[in-house]
Amino acid sequence: MTVLEGTLQEKYMVQKITIQEHILRRLEALGIIPGTKLMLMNRKKNGTCIIKVRGTRWAIGPMIAGGIFVEKAGEETAVEGQEAGEHA
Amino acid sequence: MHEDTINVGFAGNPNCGKTTLFNAYTGANLKVANWPGVTVEKKEGEARYKGQKLKLTDLPGLYSLTSYSIEEKVTRRCIMEDDIDVIINVVDASALERNLYLTLQLLELGKPVILALNMMDIVEERGMEIDLHRLPELLGGIPVVPVSARKRTGLDVLMHAVVHHYEEKHSPRVVEYSEDLEGRIARLEQVLKEQEPEIINARWHAIKLLVQDEEQVEEHPVDLPEVLDRSYEQEFTNQKYAYIEEIIEETLFYKDKKMAFTDKVDGVLTHPVWGMPIFFVVMALVFFLTFAVGDFLKGFFELGLDAFSGAVQGLLERVAVAGWLTSLVVDGIVAGVGGILTFLPNIFILFLALAFLEDSGYMARVAYVMDGLMGRLGLSGKAFLPMVLGFGCTVPAIMATRALEKERDRRRTILVTPFMSCSARLPVYVLFAGMFFGKFKILAALSMYVTGLCVAVLVAYIAHRLDRKESENVLLIELPEYKTPNGRTIAIYVWGKVKDYLTKAGTTIFVASIIIWFLLHFGSSGMVEDVSESFGAMVGRVLEPVLRPAGLGMWQIAVALISGISAKEVVVSSFCVLFGISNVNSPQGMTALTEQLAAYGFGALNAYCLMLFCLLYVPCAATIGVIRRETRSLAFTLKLILFQLLVAWGAAVLVYQVGRLLL
Repeated sequence: MTVLEGTLQEKYMVQKITIQEHILRRLEALGIIPGTKLMLMNRKKNGTCIIKVRGTRWAIGPMIAGGIFVEKAGEETAVEGQEAGEHA
Repeated sequence: MHEDTINVGFAGNPNCGKTTLFNAYTGANLKVANWPGVTVEKKEGEARYKGQKLKLTDLPGLYSLTSYSIEEKVTRRCIMEDDIDVIINVVDASALERNLYLTLQLLELGKPVILALNMMDIVEERGMEIDLHRLPELLGGIPVVPVSARKRTGLDVLMHAVVHHYEEKHSPRVVEYSEDLEGRIARLEQVLKEQEPEIINARWHAIKLLVQDEEQVEEHPVDLPEVLDRSYEQEFTNQKYAYIEEIIEETLFYKDKKMAFTDKVDGVLTHPVWGMPIFFVVMALVFFLTFAVGDFLKGFFELGLDAFSGAVQGLLERVAVAGWLTSLVVDGIVAGVGGILTFLPNIFILFLALAFLEDSGYMARVAYVMDGLMGRLGLSGKAFLPMVLGFGCTVPAIMATRALEKERDRRRTILVTPFMSCSARLPVYVLFAGMFFGKFKILAALSMYVTGLCVAVLVAYIAHRLDRKESENVLLIELPEYKTPNGRTIAIYVWGKVKDYLTKAGTTIFVASIIIWFLLHFGSSGMVEDVSESFGAMVGRVLEPVLRPAGLGMWQIAVALISGISAKEVVVSSFCVLFGISNVNSPQGMTALTEQLAAYGFGALNAYCLMLFCLLYVPCAATIGVIRRETRSLAFTLKLILFQLLVAWGAAVLVYQVGRLLL
């Protein structure tokens, strides 16, 4: 499933990203890569979403949201950022 | 002690506080706000630390050294070329994980890097802790200095680090990549050193070759197809992030979890249904305050101007100055410039409100909220930010379009931004709405803002349909944390705008007022008593027939509109000079002007058409200049001017003709 079909306030992990090369590179530079944990914060009717990745919120357009494939994050893969301190 | 100047560059992610830090060192008052992309041009300043001269460069923010948008290219070029001796990597400590990616890239460049951990106060507020001993260790021993740009703490320590570390030419190797990648890097380093013995940082050049960086491949080509078989960019990125995750795990600790304040606020402001109505209510409130509170304050200004005008006239008469000179000073300069100054309270309130919006963190949300509507126009929500800035002044708004990645989107945004009603049109609305719309004056003025927005949206839509190219909505913008607007930041912002306005009054409007006075007092037979025989009247009469269908068929209006191209406020000063009104923004001034205009049959409908025409017609000279510079196209600029003239004329004609039928 992609971010477009995700449930709000749910934590996910990025599986793969299928999108044009130049946007892919951009997302990579921002640390949105396979294996990254992501939380879906908000979504509009047209598919524009707010996601939280590595402690930062991003607004992403429907095209990008539809290109990010995710799966539900398991118990052991808590979203990084908020919970990173549990290692302490 | 070094005699030479040290060149220091501030690099970092957008919205991490580079400019605030730069201002703190240089005493500059560059604009800062809480949304990514405020700085679009590099700015230089000077500072001294213990006798050492420093040249500081504030660079536009960037997330990585791979260049996509214009501002990223500017920064990258500046850092890579030899303009910078030492890089201060400003890092938002409250978003350490994202910021460190650029840090790792900067370290690979081989120039000395000093990490300025900014926003440590926010880190504390959020119950986070950063291990300041372990962090430098994991970054190869570079100096890490906690600072607060806003509270001005840690500034000396940071400069101390700069002065002591700038000579270390090589940053240590920090990220050890996989065996395969390191093998390839080693092979390339070897070949590069053989090919170009003088090469300084072969490792960095090797990595750039492996990610197939265009500039690199062109300037330092290496023929090793078995090593350079494809781009390894993804591998490099992934492995950098893997290392960052290690750093975060070892250095960042959460003492207690707090439900982020920002998430709560976002629940309301970016609500799927209420988000857009809230935005419109916020903007309506901004303009309501501008007119209502501004109106209240301007009374004091009028009293001041009246007294000043009277005193000047008295003085000139007492020293028996020639009549024409008294007329030039009183009817030309004081009326033209002074008339404009009385609108200062409105301008002040408008920019105060905009500063609050920008510094709170709401601006970036506007891009999200408006993304749906903008998507239908073939633009992303990000293109709406320059449009909102356009409510303040079109010039910086046009510059802000640099944040858009695609040239096509940029041009379309530049095309519509001048329709957003800027602060210079405000005096026109205040005056004409005040004269002709009585208690509905605020409504009449507000309708201009709505009309401007609607025309912009409509034009963008038509341009999109004509374009026919598949547009892709690639909105990607960081939403910063909300914060309480900072008093100093707001003061810098508003004072900058007020100063601009005063400067404009003292220069453009001053000169324009004098020119208009001459045009109106001189004709083919020398100085004339009757303005209708002046040069101004002659020029105005040529255009009069064209403006007649729009309800603007007076030569005086033609003169005012032409001179308004220098700056839109000049439309108002022209009316003051044309009709000899010394204090146009006062009740007496307004009554006098209304009566004179009424003699020409100029009523409320004509006034509305005039406001509409001023809203839509040719942008001011400064805007034309910046459009020409930003698009690097004279043809585009000329077409845009012509197009706006047609739109303005068409809209005014439509309203006037329909209005005449109905009223």
